[in-house]
Order: sequence, then structure tokens, then C-alpha cells
Amino acid sequence: MTNPLDYDYSSFFYSSGDDPFAIFEPYNEWYEAAQKQGYYLLAQPMSTPPGGEIVLTEGHGKRQVKLLNLASYNYLGLSARPEVIAAAKAALDQYGLGAAGSPILSGTMDVHVQLEEALARFKKKEAVMVFPTGYSTNVGLISGILRPGDWMIADQNSHASIVDGAILSKADVRFFRHNNAADLEKKLQKVQGKKVVVAIEGVYSMDGDVCPLPELVAVAKKYGARILLDEAHSAFVFGEHGRGVAEHFGLEDEVDIHVGTFSKALGGMGGYVAGSRHLYNYLKGFARARFFSCALSPVVAAGVLKSLEIAEAEPQLRAKLWENVAHMRRRLEAEGVDIGHSTSQVIPIMVKNDRRVWEIGRRLLEAGLYLQPIIYPAVAKHRSRFRVSISAGHTTQQLDEAVAILVKVLREEGIIV
Amino acid sequence: MSVSKEGYVQYHYRDVIGGFFELPTENAKAILPPDLQPIEPHHGSSVLSVMATDFKDSPVGDYGELVLSILVAPRIEHGQPMPRSAFYPFRLGTTTRESREHAIQRWHLPHYMKDIGISWVRGDGHVTIHATDNGEPIVDMTVTEHEWSPVEHRYQAFMVDEEGAYTSTIIMAGDFSENEEERGGITIHSQSMTDLLADWDVNFTPFRELWMRNGVQTFHPLRTLASFAKR
Repeated sequence: MTNPLDYDYSSFFYSSGDDPFAIFEPYNEWYEAAQKQGYYLLAQPMSTPPGGEIVLTEGHGKRQVKLLNLASYNYLGLSARPEVIAAAKAALDQYGLGAAGSPILSGTMDVHVQLEEALARFKKKEAVMVFPTGYSTNVGLISGILRPGDWMIADQNSHASIVDGAILSKADVRFFRHNNAADLEKKLQKVQGKKVVVAIEGVYSMDGDVCPLPELVAVAKKYGARILLDEAHSAFVFGEHGRGVAEHFGLEDEVDIHVGTFSKALGGMGGYVAGSRHLYNYLKGFARARFFSCALSPVVAAGVLKSLEIAEAEPQLRAKLWENVAHMRRRLEAEGVDIGHSTSQVIPIMVKNDRRVWEIGRRLLEAGLYLQPIIYPAVAKHRSRFRVSISAGHTTQQLDEAVAILVKVLREEGIIV
Repeated sequence: MSVSKEGYVQYHYRDVIGGFFELPTENAKAILPPDLQPIEPHHGSSVLSVMATDFKDSPVGDYGELVLSILVAPRIEHGQPMPRSAFYPFRLGTTTRESREHAIQRWHLPHYMKDIGISWVRGDGHVTIHATDNGEPIVDMTVTEHEWSPVEHRYQAFMVDEEGAYTSTIIMAGDFSENEEERGGITIHSQSMTDLLADWDVNFTPFRELWMRNGVQTFHPLRTLASFAKR
């Protein structure tokens, strides 16, 4: 093995020979070497809520460390709010741990219905369907509504769940250049006369940039395409009432299908599709990723329902989040840190060196700051970075301490001057 | 230039530049042997590689080469060094007859059978090539530089012709730069060397640009692949 950092997960799709397991040995050889080079930084177990300060079991279980945390979503700081925990505990007492059934059979409990109805009111849509995970939301939705011969035209930075949903549907797929309405139009021109869904995201998770929704909607409408907007990172964060980027741009009715998750701003897990009652009814019969899974745990559903109530009742949480975002951006920009094109609470710290990002990650951890290296193939080659997720739960002091650590390490590593 | 007794052949170059372009996988699969899987950076999108090399010393002297390939999954074998990536070259053009005949006979590489011209315009931080056939433009491509570092990269090439199917390991040593900044560009002209591409839906902005300079390309001995079939 030469330097394991010359390779990545994408190098291990195929092996020679007829044994489908033959890839395991070369992969594990690489995996062991890559772990030592820095991959150990990924998925280290946390033993506290994902708040502004956490405790992590670091170095393969060798020691527990207390760290400042800028790596968790938890945008509104709700994952460990006492009211949310109390609601989840009450649900645990009432329902037990799990739903013990498919949502189309015995797995639907009244808390699921309450959550769907509350979300539909919040989103001002006829109906909302809840899914057990964000991933299964897009997979179930897209594979549920597209068929062979249909087309999905998606932003090239689309989340894997959008891509995998399309693969499962056997529809044809083309990707347009990121946030580029002109390229979307070129792609749509080539599929005129077909049934087309345009899939875009409100905020892109690796760059923190917002989609130019007015331009994209105009192009999609011009060609009669349906619009699917995934607001995983923008729902409950953007818009006057927190209804997302579609609300921010005043285009909620122009978007045909709204998708979101509970694992980001609401601090839980699961996802939802918001749209028409007809869509809801259809998905009940065709979203296989939903009804061949056990329903979302009622414990989580109750916690998410409480998070939603708080998010609606306390707009000051969004105000605090945006205050934190503005503070962080000011501090980072003043220090000369490259934050790409972010205009959201997701702020990339661009390192642009696929090898050194691991060593920098190790040094940040040593200095007391938890950030995850993001590398190819999650982002383009030589666009490696750390992804900062700002939360309303961060204090100004925590953010300032994090900036101080970040700037010190980046400066010593020559990433900033 | 050198050809070792073990069959390793070296080609020294001044510059190699390449661009990776996305194209629909159905276009790629139309020309790939069934045993080769195209690399898909996005579902449904494969990769067209356009590479130009300015060789300064080789078994067939000083010449230029333009290679059109599809990126395919490398064949990884436990205990063997891992290739960085793998290519299925489907059309090559060279500036001399001798280099063309050498590549066909020795490596079974599929060639455009006329001499082409390749001019190199080296600028500050970028290089542009203009490939022509008797003045008729074939390809114009610009690649930009990023950080340079000395490397020795291992690649696999797969070749299929009337006689059989083959693979060779290719080691590229030299100063290396690559980027995904999308600053380069390509124009592929309608011409008989590029006729296959006429109906393809290629995205002509390179998502990756590569540049190597002052190095050596080493071909390992050709291996026959018994299991490959041709479409």
C-alpha cells in the first residue's frame, strides 16, 4: 500500500475475480492504514447530548475528552431541551419504545397523527407524511412517484437520498450544474415532452449555500416540470415563520413537494413530505421505504412534536441562531478564514488539502474543538474542509473560544496567514 | 527511451494534460466491453477523459498523442498495488506514423489512422493544446494548474481489439497537479476522430483537470484477459 490518503471509499467498488467478497481484504487493508492516517477522527462515540460542549471517547476508546462542539446539526438547540426530553419520556411511558409495526398496518399511533397534523398546519399544506429517517423520506418519495421513462433533473450536489430514490425508481436522471438555472434549462430542453421532476435543496449541506429558488422555479415552470424542494437544512431555520427557503423567497405555493427532516433543526430524527392530500394518499400506497419500515418511534415522534411546538412558539430561537451565524461569520472573515459561499448556518472552513485536513483535524481535537473533516468524494477533490454547524444553543463565549482554536491551528498549519 | 528485457517500456514526456468530462452512462456503455464498469461520479453519469501528451523521448522518438478514454473501475487484487484509476482508451491520435504503429502492435490501442498535429501553448498557470488533422480542428483544450507535487501514480488500461482483450499497468511519474476548480475548458470539433462523440451528451466543462510535467510513463508488460468479451 502506498499512501492510503491517495485513495478513498470510491476506490473500492469492484475487485477482480468471481467472489463478491474479494473486495473485503484489499478494502480492509486500506481501511486499517487510513484509520491510522486520520480516518479514526470520524464517528468517535459521543457520550453527551450534541450541544455546544460534549464529551467524546477519543482514540479508539483510550480516553474521554471534553470538547467544544461545532459538528452537530441541532440548529435550534432543541435536542436536549427539558420540555422535549419530558415529552419523549412521557411517550416512552405511554407507548413503550417502538411502534412495533408498519405505519400502514399497526404502527401508526396517535402521536404520529398529531405530528403529521401539526406539521401540515405549520407548513400550510393539505397533508404531511412522516417517515422514519430523512434518507428514507427521499428514497420512499422519489421511488414512489417516478417510473421508468420519467426523468429527474437534480442539482449535481444533491443528497444521496435523492440520487438513491431516483436509482430505485429506474427513472432517467440528469444532473445540472450546482445552483445554475441556465444549465437546468439546457437539461430540461432535452427532455421536453417527458414527465419531469426537478429536485433541489434549500441549503446544501457541504457548502451551506442557498439555492436560487426564484430562478430555478421560473425555469422549471417554463418547461412544465414538477419541483421537489428538500429543506433538510433550511426548514425551521429560514423564513419569517421558519417554514424554510420557500417561505424566505415567497414561493411556497410554487413548490410542488416540500421535504424536510427532524434531525437537523428539531434535534430528533425522521423526515417528512408536505404537499397535497392526493400526494399523501398516493404515497401511502407507493412509498415502500416507509411502509416496509417500522414506523418512527413514538418516543421520537413525541419529542419532535414538542420541538416543533417550541420552534413555532419561540421565534427568538431563530433570531439567536442568525445572531450566532452573523457573529461567527464576522469573526472568521476578520481572521481571513475561507468560508466558501456559505450564506447559512452551515459554514465550511476550507482547507483545500486532502491530506493535511486529517492532521489539522487531529490538532483541533487536541486543542479542544470537535469538527469533522469532509473530504472527497463527499466534496470535490482538493476542496476538503471542516463543516461548522452553528446552533442557537451556542453561547457567544463558546463560538469565540472555537474561533480562537481554529484560527491558531489554521495559522500554524499555514492555511491562513 | 528504454525497453527493459522484462518488457517494461518507458516514454519520457514534457507535459501531459487531461480533462475529465461527464457524459451519460448509456453513451459510455455503448462502447465499453461488457466486463468493464464505467465510473459514475453521479448516478447515470460516466467520465470521458481527454488527455494530450508531449513525448520527448520514447522507443519511437519525439511525438504527440491525444487519447479519448472512458474511466472504468480498476481491477483490485489483494496483495497487489492498488491502481489510482483505470481507463478504457477508445480512440488515440498520434503525430507520427511510427508511434501509431508501435502503439497498435505493442499495446493494441485503437487509433485514428492519420497523423494529427498537436500544438502546445504554455501560459502562466495554464496550458492549451490545439489538435488538428491537416489544419482541420479536432480538439482545443485548456487545463489550469493547482499545487504541484512529485508523484508516482499507478493506472490500469484496458484494451480490446480483433485479436483479444488486454490490460497493462501504467506508472506515471513526474510533477503532478490536479484541481476541480472548473477553470479549464474544451472544444471538441465535429471531425472524424471525434465522430463517436457527436451524438453524446458530454458536459464540456471539465470537473477535474490534470497536468503532469517532466516525467516518465512506464508501461508494464501486457497481460491477456481471457474473460473479456467485445460488444
